[in-house]
Amino acid sequence: MQEILNKFSEVASNPYESILQYKETTGKEVIGCFPMDIPEEIIHAAGMLPVVMWRSNEPVTWGHAHVMPYNCAITRSFVDDAVKGKLAFMDGMIFSRQCLQVQDLPFIIQRNLPPLYVDLLYLPSISPETHEPARDFTIEELTRMKKGIEELKREKITVEALNRSFEVYNKNRALLRRLYELRRKNPALIRSGDISMIVNSSMLMPKEEHNDLLERALSELEKRQVPTDESKKVIIIGCLCQAAPLDVVELIESLGMRVVDDDIYVGARYLANDVETSEEPIKALAERYMRREPPTLTKADWENDWSDHVTDMARRNDAVGVISLLVKFCPPHLAYYPHLKKRLAKEDIPELLVEMEHEVVSLSGIRTRLEAFAESIG
Amino acid sequence: MEGTEYKINRLETTNLVGPMVDRHWAGLREAKQRNEIVAWCAGPAIIWPYAMDMKAHFMAGYAAYCAGRRAGDQVLEVARRDGELDDMCSYHRLHTGLAAAIRDNIPIKEEVVLPLPDVLISSRLCTEMAHYSEILYRTMGIPVINVDMPIPCKEEDIPRLEKFYERQIRESLIPRLEQVCDKPFNYDRMSEILAVSKEAAQIRNECWEFFKKKPTPWTLWDYGVGMGMLFYMMGNPETISYYKKLKEELTERAKNNVPAIMPDGEKYRVMWDGWIPWAFLGKFIRKLSSHGAVPICGRYPWETAFFPEPEKIEPEPDPVHNYCHIWYSGMKGTYHTGPYGGVERIGELIEEYSVDGVIMFSSKTCRMWNLGQREIVDIIDKRYNIPSVVIEADMIDSAMLSDAQIDTRLQAFFETIDARRG
Repeated sequence: MQEILNKFSEVASNPYESILQYKETTGKEVIGCFPMDIPEEIIHAAGMLPVVMWRSNEPVTWGHAHVMPYNCAITRSFVDDAVKGKLAFMDGMIFSRQCLQVQDLPFIIQRNLPPLYVDLLYLPSISPETHEPARDFTIEELTRMKKGIEELKREKITVEALNRSFEVYNKNRALLRRLYELRRKNPALIRSGDISMIVNSSMLMPKEEHNDLLERALSELEKRQVPTDESKKVIIIGCLCQAAPLDVVELIESLGMRVVDDDIYVGARYLANDVETSEEPIKALAERYMRREPPTLTKADWENDWSDHVTDMARRNDAVGVISLLVKFCPPHLAYYPHLKKRLAKEDIPELLVEMEHEVVSLSGIRTRLEAFAESIG
Repeated sequence: MEGTEYKINRLETTNLVGPMVDRHWAGLREAKQRNEIVAWCAGPAIIWPYAMDMKAHFMAGYAAYCAGRRAGDQVLEVARRDGELDDMCSYHRLHTGLAAAIRDNIPIKEEVVLPLPDVLISSRLCTEMAHYSEILYRTMGIPVINVDMPIPCKEEDIPRLEKFYERQIRESLIPRLEQVCDKPFNYDRMSEILAVSKEAAQIRNECWEFFKKKPTPWTLWDYGVGMGMLFYMMGNPETISYYKKLKEELTERAKNNVPAIMPDGEKYRVMWDGWIPWAFLGKFIRKLSSHGAVPICGRYPWETAFFPEPEKIEPEPDPVHNYCHIWYSGMKGTYHTGPYGGVERIGELIEEYSVDGVIMFSSKTCRMWNLGQREIVDIIDKRYNIPSVVIEADMIDSAMLSDAQIDTRLQAFFETIDARRG
């Protein structure tokens, strides 16, 4: 088990090396997908390796010349990595129009990196009143993305290849959901930092390999006997495109709390929705994008209340507290946070805001707040 | 000239703006008293309720109004106490603050209290423009009509985005408005609004010509205070009279060689890229004029909302198509907002108005005009051999503005222009 976790950890903590190694071994092209909506399945069906872009652990230096200090952590870190040449192994990058800060990136990349394949998907809002035009436009955008990848690969992507990729990805999501279910039943079974690394590594390595490793890990976990845990159950939520910082997650669990579930992208959101295999696979991908559950703050689905989802999640899991991980300068989360906070207060669910910047070097402030929170709940 | 004491010479005609703006906002209160339907609009959406003869409140226009009445910080403070976080868009916070003040009966300056709307309309040019509607729906139950209006990255993206935008207007926004107002969409009224806007914009463009004169007889701020004429006051025949009077005064000034800053006119002609700093107009013009600098053009004040190419407005036969078209392929306002189109547009303005340097006003809470700014600085330098400076502040929130930092940057900026002049 530990051996498998170490492998996941290696990939998640140093994706530069593991992806480069994979590329050199297989000769396959690597396409970076900026979180959170790029359908990796299209790239996989073309025989390439899609990887979901990440936040580096290095402080931003060269990136300052290209991006404002009041952009969020992952956009600043990504630009910094790119202009330092750390992403030179990528053959292409695809972005989507989920917030203004992401829309800056194709321009910066094309201006500062050697020529590579760059695309921006204008994935629309999914407001109820514009459903039909938005669905059709999503199909058009995904068709265009597929065509772009075909041109890059100089090979058609068949319906069969897409459906095969759907199956591989659906299997991965199903395995991850199984992992989440195990944690829900017994949070002491596995540390949340490990869960975060498992989900994160799934975004950074071939899915087939991840599926094999995860299947083995799950069968061991399912046999594992652990004593009943008296820790206080909490859930972590946020709109962060990046993985929840490992040190913060570990800190939470070192203070007598246990994360029982989450509503974050490098977490439950990534594994939430499967794609149906279909004779019209692009349409199936568009249908997945249009799904309203879990609510996605970047999709302007105004009727869909995120606080309902979070409240239900807390109740379902008997969680005694909610920890909001807010990445500084993340507008969707900033917009929704005041309402969410009031709603949770109304529901008598204690909540704590943990605001994070990219260059946080000291955890002492966060520790103090988490300690106070841990004492006050349950 | 070393030691010259510069003094701003404001245009008389701009004094007419205040009363017109007051009437506009008073009209919203009166409409509500008459039980008429009122809309709040984010992004370029105001023409749609106007075509239905609704009164409408434009988000950025309200921010400028609040700032003009020195009530911005007060309303932002209400938002803060209601739980808003300071990094959120200040336009957004201003509206959630106003809603909280009304809901909880918190006293704020009386003239900036406006009625809550019956419907919220978002034209999602900036992805964040939809958030305030979503939140006001959530907290106040006010229904939303949201239309996506993506900023094209590349020029080749324009046609398909235009098609998508128009389809949403025809299939979603218009039927929803018809439902809200319980009457058919008034295409004739939309044509009238466009016809008035076309005439006003044509005269306004004649006024813009005076910015090319050296010394310039007016500043971007003189234009900026009346920018709402062609946006949230669009279709009002008074806007035509306003621009006629403005043109008369500018003609007179030009004839007598009267400059915008005394005694002899500008030493530096600068472009102002980004939002107009509504709450700090006086502060910035004093900072600039103390160096002998005059802002004379900008990407935002020249954007499609203000119809920079009025000849492309075709009120007949299909005003809906024409309005959608001008925002994309026509006047390319959406494209110019993005970095690729932004570089093109800034270049055109630099050449057209003989600009000595560019001030990039970078808003800390609204990034719509910030896209690519750091890169654009470098491109302009290489392509046009003129310097740029990035100033970090906000449109409304005074907590986001540091005088000392801005003064230092401006000083260095003007010294760079001097050095290049040799």
